[in-house]
Amino acid sequence: MPETHSTLFIPGDSRYHRLHPFNKLAYILLTGVTVYLGPGKSLAAACLIILNAGFAVEAAIFIPLWRVLWRTLLPLALYMGIIHGFFNPANHTVLISLGNMSVYQEGIQFTFTVVLQLSAVLSASLLFAFCTHPADLITAVSQAGWPPALAYLLGSPLLLLPAMRERARTIQAAQRARGLETHGRLSQRFRAVFPLITPLILGAIVEIEQRAIALEVRSFNIPGKKTSWRKVTDSVVQGFFRWGMVTVIIMIVTYRFIN
Amino acid sequence: MSRIEQLKKDFSTTTIVFIAIAIVINIVVGQMVSLLKLPIFLDSIGTILVGVLAGPLAGGLTGLLTNLIWGIISSPVAAAFSPVAMVIGIVAGLCAKYGLFKTWWLAIVSGVIITVFNAIVAVPIRLYMFGGITGSGADFMTAYMLALGKDLFGSVIITVFTSNLLDKVFTAVLVWGIIKALPLRTTSRLSRADSTIA
Repeated sequence: MPETHSTLFIPGDSRYHRLHPFNKLAYILLTGVTVYLGPGKSLAAACLIILNAGFAVEAAIFIPLWRVLWRTLLPLALYMGIIHGFFNPANHTVLISLGNMSVYQEGIQFTFTVVLQLSAVLSASLLFAFCTHPADLITAVSQAGWPPALAYLLGSPLLLLPAMRERARTIQAAQRARGLETHGRLSQRFRAVFPLITPLILGAIVEIEQRAIALEVRSFNIPGKKTSWRKVTDSVVQGFFRWGMVTVIIMIVTYRFIN
Repeated sequence: MSRIEQLKKDFSTTTIVFIAIAIVINIVVGQMVSLLKLPIFLDSIGTILVGVLAGPLAGGLTGLLTNLIWGIISSPVAAAFSPVAMVIGIVAGLCAKYGLFKTWWLAIVSGVIITVFNAIVAVPIRLYMFGGITGSGADFMTAYMLALGKDLFGSVIITVFTSNLLDKVFTAVLVWGIIKALPLRTTSRLSRADSTIA
């Protein structure tokens, strides 16, 4: 299975794709801090959403991003609108009256603000997920001098996942062939957990030793810099922007603590 | 043993591989169980396993990375809850350190303790980032509590605690059983395996 199918990444060659992964990560953090801690919550969130939409158009991922965004947020917004519209403890201005229940303005306003904040953060995170090849993130982590173990931990689960999913399917098929019920009553389904999960987990844990030996004979543990075929491009301007964003994040957090 | 030595022992190559495997276990088991339509998720089983067998720091790292990687793979909402997953691993590790994974009934106690700390971290995130609602079945409970006249904070606490209690207790007991079933040859390579011997 090609790895592009197991992550959200969509190949492309836009400016946003070529940005250093750390810049995109800093941008997610900046967005989060701005909409949740900064002044002018809804307005700032609305501006950031428009900005993110612009980035998405530039990276040619606007449609897939929009699809994931509304699929995630629409059910949330509906639940939130209903629950807060009817029951928010701050409710007192009646908007619509339905018999003995009423929809209140405060609850709807609250929902609107939360959905705006979430859209801003979610769109920034999706921009990262859609435009960053996982290997670029891993390379950036090791190029920045972080321990190779961290790069391994970020990268290897993505590679192990398809194989493990395949094994889960095999176990499911094998246990069904032995007559395992996975659809019946609640107690039956609870009992089905054990024969499905234990072989998967025990098998995976017993394999650890082999994998660890395989890493050690390839000198995973020796100190010193390792070279990589993959290069992530960085520039002075990008470094400047990165630290700029970090500075703004610190400023907003301190502003919040003072007020 | 000094702290540095313990840290080196806790983060051997075997542990690093164990963490990577546990991250995948969390994701795959979570998906497998969701097909059974049970009121449990089991998506922190790998995190708790690592916490018990390799210490609180390794457990915390497993939880944190699981949700971050989940964020890259499919749902960025999971990434927002990564601090919660981290705390689950840390607390599981600490429970094991104080002998709370030695028998199945002690594992139940650990499950309850994990649920309490899970709620402490999850409630503020759910409340401030998501307005108390995450689009899951548990939201009906929040709505019901609000309709009874409870405040949002109280409603969310009750929802998070009750919807996680069964899951975390079940997971903790399952982890205890899995460790009992593992061959000694495998567990003896992991730094904190002694903590589960009764």
